[in-house]
Amino acid sequence: MKRNVILASLICLAMIGCSKKSDDIKIGVYGPFSGGSAPMGVSMRNGAKIAVEEINAAGGVLGKKLALVDRDDEAKNERGGQIMQELLDKENVVAVLGPANTGVANASTQYTQQKKVPQIINVAAGAKVNEFFATNPENYIFRIAASDDIQSKVIVGQALKRGAKKVALLCDDTNYGQNGREKMEAVLASAGVKPVYVGKFKIKDTDMTAQLQEAKAAGADVILAYGIGPELAAVSNSMDRISWKVPMIGSWTLSMSNYTTNAGKNGNGTMMPQTFIEANAQTPKQQQFLKTYQEKFKESPISSAVSAAQGYDSVYLLKLAIEQAGNTEGTAIKNALENLNASYEGLTGNYTKPFSSTDHEAIKEANVTLGMVQDGKIISSGN
Amino acid sequence: MTEVLQLIISGAIQGMIYALIAFGYNLTFSTSKTINFSLGQIVMLGGVVGYILYIDMQTGHLKGLPFVVPLLGVLVIGTLAGALVHKTAVEPSLKFKSEYTWILATLAVGIIIKNGVEQLWSTGDYKMISPLGDEVIRIGGIGVYAQEILIVVVSLGIVCGVEMFKRRTIYGKAIQAVSEDKATASLMGIPEKFVITVSFMMSACIAAIAGLLVAPLTFVSASMGMVLGIKAYSVSIIGGLESGYGPLVGGLILGISETLTARYISTGYKEMPGFIILIVVILFKPNGLFGKKIIKKV
Repeated sequence: MKRNVILASLICLAMIGCSKKSDDIKIGVYGPFSGGSAPMGVSMRNGAKIAVEEINAAGGVLGKKLALVDRDDEAKNERGGQIMQELLDKENVVAVLGPANTGVANASTQYTQQKKVPQIINVAAGAKVNEFFATNPENYIFRIAASDDIQSKVIVGQALKRGAKKVALLCDDTNYGQNGREKMEAVLASAGVKPVYVGKFKIKDTDMTAQLQEAKAAGADVILAYGIGPELAAVSNSMDRISWKVPMIGSWTLSMSNYTTNAGKNGNGTMMPQTFIEANAQTPKQQQFLKTYQEKFKESPISSAVSAAQGYDSVYLLKLAIEQAGNTEGTAIKNALENLNASYEGLTGNYTKPFSSTDHEAIKEANVTLGMVQDGKIISSGN
Repeated sequence: MTEVLQLIISGAIQGMIYALIAFGYNLTFSTSKTINFSLGQIVMLGGVVGYILYIDMQTGHLKGLPFVVPLLGVLVIGTLAGALVHKTAVEPSLKFKSEYTWILATLAVGIIIKNGVEQLWSTGDYKMISPLGDEVIRIGGIGVYAQEILIVVVSLGIVCGVEMFKRRTIYGKAIQAVSEDKATASLMGIPEKFVITVSFMMSACIAAIAGLLVAPLTFVSASMGMVLGIKAYSVSIIGGLESGYGPLVGGLILGISETLTARYISTGYKEMPGFIILIVVILFKPNGLFGKKIIKKV
């Protein structure tokens, strides 16, 4: 009997302990904080952290403070699903930000959808977003990142603008790379161009001589590449090895630090679509962000500036939606996101009504500029 | 023509790396009749330790230490790893007279090494700078890295050196005696156990050096040894586990077939011919192309 009383009081105590913390508005953040995709995940989380600190310093949201609950998905699809269930069922987050990998996103967005918790994907470019409308008119998945559709349009458009006639595609064999290849092929087909060579490579491949020679033999005058940092660097290094130099344009991941450092001088001139270019920061807000980032995380240039900026902006869009909704209920936040009254001047662009009830992509073609690698830094390519 | 030559040379160099690691498998097999399946992870250990001693991880620039320092570091870590694998994974399972425990035990050591490096070091990919520079040398239109020439020279040097040592010196003959017949060798006064330990140390050392050699061409990461270890194992089987120079031929076959397939058939099928050859060799010459035929008398 006595033991029961003690137990009961302990449980009561524990519950008080919990309820104390739930004053904060919890937001889940997940992404790859280790492994080859880590620059994206870590920068995204850092950007989100800065935004949360700024918001909390200015009085929080609805009188409460924001709290990030972060989890490392290690870029593994199955981890994405596990983490998402933990965030939703155990941590009871009101919204989720992330992830960075397309495969991870596709393996986990069903849970937020089922639980009616809004999720803003802030890095993964290939993840399904608007595609969900077909099966789910009440779509809880949003994105603030240049989708593969937009990227492939920009990449192919740039290649054709530069007068490329014979296009070679080189993509990794993951969901991400093959999705990108499909989209680029579609855009090329609509312009009446058939690629002269379509090749692929595996994660961890370091010698691309064979693929490049085949592209060279086919007479390619531009390489359009889709993959992540280390392998894209191997493509550039192998090009140098067979002393063949044609322009390379590819996915935004070419701005990742593990591309620029591993490719070194061979990376010079490579172009990619960007939503934020560190060297091109002009607005006071962008400059302030870079200053804070450098002071806080001692990193310059940012290992993935695009991810950091999108991470930051995603927090602010969410904040505006929660304020407009007046509560933290999932459906209310979702409806507010779809019909945002306040406009927001962000790092990646100015947003007035970024989302609607039929379009959950915040980034449009106009937000995307072309970046170019020069001596390990990303600069604006000027057009 | 230069294109084909470029492919053959790229493939041959890749093959030399496989051959070097395969030679490591053969060394321990000849003395103890076991295979150290953690060898791929020891390759990675060599690459990582070499990187830590040679390059500043934060900036990615050279630390300024002479290349002898990482080289010695890699030799030390290789020797230790070899001794560790033998003491913890192979010796106990041989003592229990268990035929196959060492397979799982050495695999387990490999997993521990890999996870340990991931925990204590990093899970990222890093670029190792070659001590000979990263410039491409052109010989008649064919691009080769100085590091690749080094790989060929060192691999041939190690394989020939160890084979000479085994055939010409008294200590080498002791190793051969153990591999021929342990019991008799032991009766003749050869410290059989010690010879086996030494062969594990040598084998791991060679693997660690292979890791240091390939690091500038691949990236340094905790997962760099995985594929190398598996491919080198099939090279061992193709060349013959009992053979000294067999791995060299096996390595060349695998390496060159990979690049030629990638170029002329499809990059997706790159690994196929190597494994087809492996199956064919197992079917028709189970002891490998250069293996001795063993007749087991019952």
